Amino acid sequence: MPGTTQISSNSKQGITIAVRENPTHFTPALETITPLLFDSVFLSKLEQLYLLSKKLFRGAHRAERRSRQIGSSLEFADYRNYTSGDDLRSIDWNIYGRLDRLFVKLFEQEQDLDISFLLDASASMRWTPEGSDRLSKFDQARRITASLAYIGLANLDRVNVHYFASRLEEDLGLCRGKSHFHKVLDFLRDAPILEGETRLKPSLRSFAQRMKRRGLVFVISDLFDPDGCEEALALLRYHQFEVHVIQVLDPAELRPTSTGDLRLVESESGQAYEVTATEALLRRYHAEIDGFLEKTASFCVEKGISYAQATTAVPFEDLVLRVLRDGRMIQ
Amino acid sequence: MTFLNAWAVGFAAVAPVIVLLYLLKLKRRPVSVSTLLFWQRVLQENRRRALFQRLRQLFSLLLHLLIFALILGALLRPTLDQQVREGASAVIILDARARMQATEPDGQTRFARARAAAAGVARQASSMRQMAVIGLDAGPTVVSPFTDDEKALRESLDKVPVTDASGDLAKALRLAEDLLSARKGERRIIVFTDRTPPATEAATSTPIDYVDVGTPRDNVAITRFATRPLLASPQTSEVLLEVANFGRAPVKADVELAFDGRLLDVKPLNLEPGARSVQVFPTVPRPSNNSRGWLTAKLNTTDALTADNVAYAVLPTQPPRRVLLVTKGNWFLEKLLAADQSLAFELLTPDAFTPDLATKFDAVLLDNCLPENFDMAKAAGNFLFLKQTPFNTPEPALDQPLLSDIDSQHPALRLVNLQNITFLHAASLAVPKMEGWTWQAPIRSFEHPIMITGTRQGATQRVAALALDVTDSDLPLRIAFPLLISNTLHWLAGEESAPVLSRRAGEALPLAAGETAFDEPQSPWKTAAAPSPHSERHDLFEPLINGFYQIQSRDGTRWLAVNTFSEEDSDLRGEHSTATTAPSFPMISLARFAGWPIWQYLAASALALLVLEWWLFHRRRTE
Repeated sequence: MPGTTQISSNSKQGITIAVRENPTHFTPALETITPLLFDSVFLSKLEQLYLLSKKLFRGAHRAERRSRQIGSSLEFADYRNYTSGDDLRSIDWNIYGRLDRLFVKLFEQEQDLDISFLLDASASMRWTPEGSDRLSKFDQARRITASLAYIGLANLDRVNVHYFASRLEEDLGLCRGKSHFHKVLDFLRDAPILEGETRLKPSLRSFAQRMKRRGLVFVISDLFDPDGCEEALALLRYHQFEVHVIQVLDPAELRPTSTGDLRLVESESGQAYEVTATEALLRRYHAEIDGFLEKTASFCVEKGISYAQATTAVPFEDLVLRVLRDGRMIQ
Repeated sequence: MTFLNAWAVGFAAVAPVIVLLYLLKLKRRPVSVSTLLFWQRVLQENRRRALFQRLRQLFSLLLHLLIFALILGALLRPTLDQQVREGASAVIILDARARMQATEPDGQTRFARARAAAAGVARQASSMRQMAVIGLDAGPTVVSPFTDDEKALRESLDKVPVTDASGDLAKALRLAEDLLSARKGERRIIVFTDRTPPATEAATSTPIDYVDVGTPRDNVAITRFATRPLLASPQTSEVLLEVANFGRAPVKADVELAFDGRLLDVKPLNLEPGARSVQVFPTVPRPSNNSRGWLTAKLNTTDALTADNVAYAVLPTQPPRRVLLVTKGNWFLEKLLAADQSLAFELLTPDAFTPDLATKFDAVLLDNCLPENFDMAKAAGNFLFLKQTPFNTPEPALDQPLLSDIDSQHPALRLVNLQNITFLHAASLAVPKMEGWTWQAPIRSFEHPIMITGTRQGATQRVAALALDVTDSDLPLRIAFPLLISNTLHWLAGEESAPVLSRRAGEALPLAAGETAFDEPQSPWKTAAAPSPHSERHDLFEPLINGFYQIQSRDGTRWLAVNTFSEEDSDLRGEHSTATTAPSFPMISLARFAGWPIWQYLAASALALLVLEWWLFHRRRTE
């Protein structure tokens, strides 16, 4: 591939996963060919960001995220009476001078956070409209996952990635630290091709049952579940997870333009429908999908779930740095 | 009902193919979608309309079969039996008179409108509906005989030129009726004009459709423009000009008089609605030998009809006649001939005169002298004999003759009053009996002729003899004397009828032998392309366009001024101006659509249904 000498890459299955040093050669065309290619400038921007969590979770290791545990960070938490055996260095001598009693200063324990990415790998996510040169929804979802995972890893959080379609599939395993970013990229690059329709409820139930430690969960999907997404998301909330939903869509799904006598073939099931698409029918379709999106967004707002819509037409950097920030997912 | 193209019924075999095509499954374009979730919800509503869908398919099939049936019907060319037997005939009358040059508010002339409308009707010609075209200018002319060739009809309409002539529509209607009288079946006259005449003026037994293409318009026109030489001052002419306002508003305009294209005079005019202004220009010089004598009057105004804003006239350009006076001495005659500017005379004594000299002059006046052995039968030239004439008889002269019979219609006696004139003597004359001559005695004293005139048949030779001696009477002291001598000399010289100087457009002018007229008019602003075609009609010349026409003869060239001068054509207000509430005639629609052949109705219906089907298909109402 021309110009790849400057890229530290390892190609497999035609996809380059790399961290590029020189940002000036990062062009949209290259971005289309190599969806998991990030330049160093963009990564440095990501390092400034922070994945937001409204809840405090118990972590496994000391890290940079506040927790309910008392520990040895610089953040003051409380006082308690001195008891024998306490470290003398933690006695507040100023209090002792004023009250003539011994008190020990307690500090917050900063811990890490478990962040899980539930990535929809169903056939509908791999669908691209005919004649389009845009990325598929799945590629867009993988890039979002990689970006957010990098933010988590840079903040010493524990990151895991799960694929799902009709059920929960394999996962990456917990990773911590930026040095594991290549592992994340490799996992995303080697994404399996899953058959079947999107089934959120069994997938998320399996996830909730499998995860022993609660934390932050990103559900990245088109949410095209015939049974709806509301129950599945509510299930995660029930299991004390903090849920962020990123709905990835293609503009051609939102506003199809083909008219005439059509045979619609679904990418997931192969099911075909014959339809004579008229302007009036398209208008009804637009109203239907607009109603679906509005209903999903309303549900998320009502349940305190962060929700963002990411179409493949939005430039990726703009999506990560603006759309997700507006969705109160990163800061 | 008869089908003219019965072979077209074979196309009916195509109908099952249409039905078969409907039975075939529609091949749909495959389109991949990410999910059918939303399509299913939308289509669930559509399934409820399945019955309507099936009806829609049936409706679509029936619509296509109906269109096919209409096209098949048009191809069969059905015709009513009566029309097959008799057919139908129509005569198109296209008005090409001067008034049709008027422009309408949209900038189109009435004639252009009329021709376009007539072409639309001509397109309906068919073997069952033959048409003829009559052009109406000064008179009706059959431009195209009855034919079913609509292209030939339209081409003949294109060849009809609009003219400056004024004609009578009734003549055209009569000609159209004559054309239609020999034809069977339905008959119709369609008149394309700018003014529908009252029903009483155009009463015919054949139905007439008037297609009125005109609207009331204001117009100012020159209605009279004439010249005449002044008898008192032959070097000048008198010009009469009349301008009329046929509009509904007062008009201020200048009228320019030009002589041979050079401006001569300008007069401002203020004309109230319906008013006329008569102007006289008394001192117009007579043309010199090298001038054409063109006199033009031009109105500087903008109105609907420009053809009548310019008028043409020709000044008289007659050269003086050469006269030979043979006398022993007659003071009265010498002074008279010298005073008459229209005559150039030479004096000769009787001794020096020989009959051969007569051919070199327009007229010879022999005063009381007659050459010896003078033989009237052999003499050439025109002669006026006074007292001694070849027709004298041996009888004694008449004493104080009384003039009993005077033919005042004779050119020689025009305006001559011989009452109360005393004659002492008069020679006794006898009307000769010579073969090849026509003799008259316009002045008689009972049975005695006092004046004899003769004209040689088939030639221009003329002779006049007066039995009087001017010195034996008080005639030289009377005003009748110069008139009698001058009239007689001019008659002898062939001037009893002054040349025609002007004609109205469309008026026929008989041409004399040897005369040839140029067909194309000229004016100070337009010169005929050289060489201009000569008229082939040597006996009758009928100019249709205003302007100056050149007429050539052996004697030289003279000019003829042609003008419209028709108040009927210049008055464009029409009847609509007074009857604004008159119902509008549905003539255009009747003329265009009535009487179409049946196949055209069928074809038009098929076309309309096709357009409807196309419209419905693109809105997914049909499949």
